[in-house]
Amino acid sequence: MAKAIAAVAGSYEQAGRRGAATDYDVGLMLRFQKGEELAFQELVERNHGRVVGLIYRFISDASEAEDLAQEVFLRIYRARKTYKPTAKFSTWMFRITANVSLNALRSRSHRKDDVSINQVTDFGDGPRAMPDPEAKMPDHDLHQAELQAKVREAIAELPEKQQVAVVLNKYEGMSYAEIASTIGCSTLAVKSLLARARDNLKDHLLLYIRTGRGRQRVG
Amino acid sequence: MSPVCQWVRSVLVAYLDGELKPSTAEAVRRHLARCEACRAQMRLLQESWRLLDEVPPAPVRSGFTERMMARVVEEKDLSAFAARLGSHDLRRHVLASVLGMAAGLVLGIAVYAWTGLFEKPASPVEWEVSRHVSFLEDVDLLDEVAVIQAMDRLEGDTETAGEGA
Repeated sequence: MAKAIAAVAGSYEQAGRRGAATDYDVGLMLRFQKGEELAFQELVERNHGRVVGLIYRFISDASEAEDLAQEVFLRIYRARKTYKPTAKFSTWMFRITANVSLNALRSRSHRKDDVSINQVTDFGDGPRAMPDPEAKMPDHDLHQAELQAKVREAIAELPEKQQVAVVLNKYEGMSYAEIASTIGCSTLAVKSLLARARDNLKDHLLLYIRTGRGRQRVG
Repeated sequence: MSPVCQWVRSVLVAYLDGELKPSTAEAVRRHLARCEACRAQMRLLQESWRLLDEVPPAPVRSGFTERMMARVVEEKDLSAFAARLGSHDLRRHVLASVLGMAAGLVLGIAVYAWTGLFEKPASPVEWEVSRHVSFLEDVDLLDEVAVIQAMDRLEGDTETAGEGA
């Protein structure tokens, strides 16, 4: 049994090394490790779109997503001395990205408590801060904005690991094995995470499926 | 719900994601072909999953790499400073600067105190007045005391002169 487990673990590691060996980004990281600063710049140039995009799926704030993406690349920069190419570069990068995003979500949920206290006493700028009742959005835009808010809410209300699995699977197109490698669990666990997550999403968005409001731009 | 339906529902998401073994996927496909309830469930899962496409991707802002590299330069400057702070020479230099500043501060306070900050009233009368006034802020008060004393002396002189007359 132990031999079988070791063989499976070994084959995973070999597969990871094979992936790493053919991974252009791993090559860039190794060049950067040897002191070639331009290689790091190229890594940033090649990957920042995916990193910002992924964080945005968790955070829904473009400016904060960029700040957090910089944090991701700073962590990569600082890890240059200890980096070992045991897996695909993207797997490592997305693991850092998911961690940074979840940390931001956690600190945001802490801040939310403070904000709700402030909201009781802070009346803002008076009438100027109030929404203009005359300004009406067109029906389609209103429905679209409402739907997008509802979808974001449905994802945000998932437990952390389910959120990560959904975002990686849906928006990064990762397979169960790739997600497992990124978040550090078994493929079976990912299968279970995604089954529960999609069941939760379905329940949360049921109204939008049945009324057809969600189908305006679908199909 | 039949046990077969229960089993199919438990693997439905993996089936939709193409993550089942071919033989298992074939069994699910056969069941779906004859079970309307499981097909309805599959459609709900597909539709809700498709709704996630409605959320637009992050707006792209140009110049990320330049901003990132500027931040890296800041990081390098900070690391270099921290490394220098760890060196013996710089530690000695910083310590000498701090001691010098502290000595200068002490000297400044001493000179300030010497030149009048803690000056006491000049005469015993002024001292007596100031002792009874809790917050002696108006310096003119002392002048008024001197005027009153002068008038008292004048009145005293007048009375003495009157008595003499």
